Amino acid sequence: MSEEPLTLDAALSDEAVLSTYRRMFAALARDSGAVVDDPVLVDIAETLFTAFAEAGEEWLTHEQMRHACRAYPTDLFENRLRVLKGLGAIREVFPKPNQLRYRASFTSVVGLMFIRRMMDDGGQSEMHRLLALEDLNVADPRTTMEEARQSAVNLARAFRLWALELITLTTGTIEELREQAPKLWGTEEIARRAQGLHATILTRWPSLDRVCTDLRAAIYAYSDASRRAAGRLAESAGTTRNLTLLPTETWRTFAQTASRETLASVLDGFLFDAPAPWHDPAAIARAVDEAPRPAPAQPTPPRSALPDPGPSSVLAEPPEAAVQRLREVAESVLGGADRVALADAFGGDWPAARRLLADLTTIDLRPDLPYRLVWSEELSIDPEREPAWLSHGFLVRECS
Amino acid sequence: MGAGDAAVAHARVRAHGPLRLPAGAPAPEGMARLTFPDSTGLALGVWPDGATPALLEEHQVPPVPVERAGETRRVLAACLKCCWTDLSADPWPGSPAPLERVLGTYRALIGRTDDLMRNWAIGALRRLHDSAWIVLSDGLVRLGPRCALWPVSAHAQLKELVRRLPEPAGDDLTVVADSDLVETAPDPAGGRVEGGESAGLEDLLEGYDERHRAELVAAFMAVEHAAEPVPEARFAALRDPALRRALAQMLARRGRVLIQHRERWISGYDDGVAARLDGPLSESERAVLTLVLVHSVAIPRAEGVLPEDTWLSPHPTPVEELRRHTQVPIGELEAALRSLRHAGLLTQVKAGEEAGGYVPGPQFHRLTPAARRRLQEELILAAGPQTPLAAAVRARRAAG
Repeated sequence: MSEEPLTLDAALSDEAVLSTYRRMFAALARDSGAVVDDPVLVDIAETLFTAFAEAGEEWLTHEQMRHACRAYPTDLFENRLRVLKGLGAIREVFPKPNQLRYRASFTSVVGLMFIRRMMDDGGQSEMHRLLALEDLNVADPRTTMEEARQSAVNLARAFRLWALELITLTTGTIEELREQAPKLWGTEEIARRAQGLHATILTRWPSLDRVCTDLRAAIYAYSDASRRAAGRLAESAGTTRNLTLLPTETWRTFAQTASRETLASVLDGFLFDAPAPWHDPAAIARAVDEAPRPAPAQPTPPRSALPDPGPSSVLAEPPEAAVQRLREVAESVLGGADRVALADAFGGDWPAARRLLADLTTIDLRPDLPYRLVWSEELSIDPEREPAWLSHGFLVRECS
Repeated sequence: MGAGDAAVAHARVRAHGPLRLPAGAPAPEGMARLTFPDSTGLALGVWPDGATPALLEEHQVPPVPVERAGETRRVLAACLKCCWTDLSADPWPGSPAPLERVLGTYRALIGRTDDLMRNWAIGALRRLHDSAWIVLSDGLVRLGPRCALWPVSAHAQLKELVRRLPEPAGDDLTVVADSDLVETAPDPAGGRVEGGESAGLEDLLEGYDERHRAELVAAFMAVEHAAEPVPEARFAALRDPALRRALAQMLARRGRVLIQHRERWISGYDDGVAARLDGPLSESERAVLTLVLVHSVAIPRAEGVLPEDTWLSPHPTPVEELRRHTQVPIGELEAALRSLRHAGLLTQVKAGEEAGGYVPGPQFHRLTPAARRRLQEELILAAGPQTPLAAAVRARRAAG
């Protein structure tokens, strides 16, 4: 109603009621807009019928009807009354102009009772009644085989459609399943009754076994579907849903003020796994291969076996001393001459000779020293000698 | 020892790690006995048909994620290098090695020597210790009982790995002190593995041909070790009701049951078995886990932003919320977060610099419906003990 604040929950439950109305009258409706779009409209009708019942043979005037529905807005009431009159649910007591008293249609009242019951249990009790009636019918000696066959076919169809609806619910959202949950209540009882009916038909008319097989299959499908739906509902009903029933503030206060002991007590006795990751040999090898690479280790160069005072003393000397030493080396090789063949200077001791050669090369590379190495094209090879290969050259003094 | 007791023992190993056995006591059915020289021992479950959790990779089922997997495995490789001194024997028990030597080996492996590297390595060692892959005590590292579960066929790969790992760059290592430490260390000379050839499931598996048997073992390993419920489409033994029944029997031997989430399956503790065991979490761990459940599940649920009926949640609990607005001391908080994360009870969600936090981890997939319901009730009882809802829970428990 308009004066009440419209909450989301209220809107949702209204929508659920309306959808049931629409489904119930789908078979009769002329177009899809033919069913009420506000559950209050049905309440108005019910209030009116109650008022008619109390009024008895006095009937009701327009004013009395308005008074009975005083809780509802005038325009809503008038609109409703017009529709009810139009459809014949409320009629003039006598069909003549300016009639002031009205009566209610018995059929409409029964229809509304039926609607309310369908709303409550989704047709569950109607199915019970239908089965009870059919049971009586097939037991009646006057019932023909054709009637029994028709009855079995109808029931099979009803069960099939019902099972289909349950299957759809089971795979749909849990919210819809919960809303339609009443359809699941008492299904065992219904299936049992249906099986009883099936047995009666089959015993009395064995030739109807094909129809009965269909009926049996439909009952089983229905039982199975309802069990699945109920199972899903039961599974979801209790695992976290009730957490919504405490307000957020309660949870926050609990988290902020509860002692460590109180918090811990929630999980008392819950069994969890100890950490046990699996380290497979292949995974360990892979991890090692993917390790960030260390800087490659620098191998120490091999050392000479010769006694070697090392370069430290040389480096300790001032640069002039090194130049002076080189000059002395060059002069000692030249021995006063301006030019001397290297082959003569080296002699046979190659290890000593190569050190001398190194010094001479250094001398050659220093432009400030007046000595140069001059190499000739000549190459002598003598396997007996050391070195066996010898390229010839000269140390020459540069003329300044 | 009856089958029921063996199932409880398997569940205990899963919840608390390797089972301590008194001197001479046999291992429960389906477990290997790791015997020490004084004939006390440890028991660990073995898997059917020589499978290991590496099987999950073949089926492209993600296992429970390993925290800092690469680093942890490289540190384990370093432990193996130091402790597996006799490559002609099995890796377990190996010989104890000083912690500094393990760190030196790891340093040589990744080529970094900074403090950060050391902290990471210590963290990895602690995680390996907590998951029984190594034993860390008094500055010594030993290989843990889980190393005895590496299949013999993989030993060659591990040997090759140990050979190619670099030696620790060793001058700064106190090699002499090693032997002193080893001599004073308790239980220096390892032990041996006994039994462990049979997973205790042979009688259930022997009726199946090779293909079905492999399918059963694959599904068994998958539901026991996957991070999330496994789609039944991927495993014949989950699809086929008859094989699924055999799988359930295998799991029952381990104190486990199958848990269905729509078309997906995972395993969890049997409620009856769980009731006979103590939970493995410390008080502060339980308190912190409760706080995350309140912030990530209960509050979003109460606010209507968590539609799924599950104990997992996409809404992280901010670390700041845990640090600043709870009664849990901050030191305990950090330690508890670390161990809960390692056990897969919490998952860290990183989002930018400031945001992010913790959500319930993959272990919450493994709660049975009854455990999930009980968790909800315990939270309601703790957070709103005075509410009608809590009264209803208490009344139902008293009646039940």
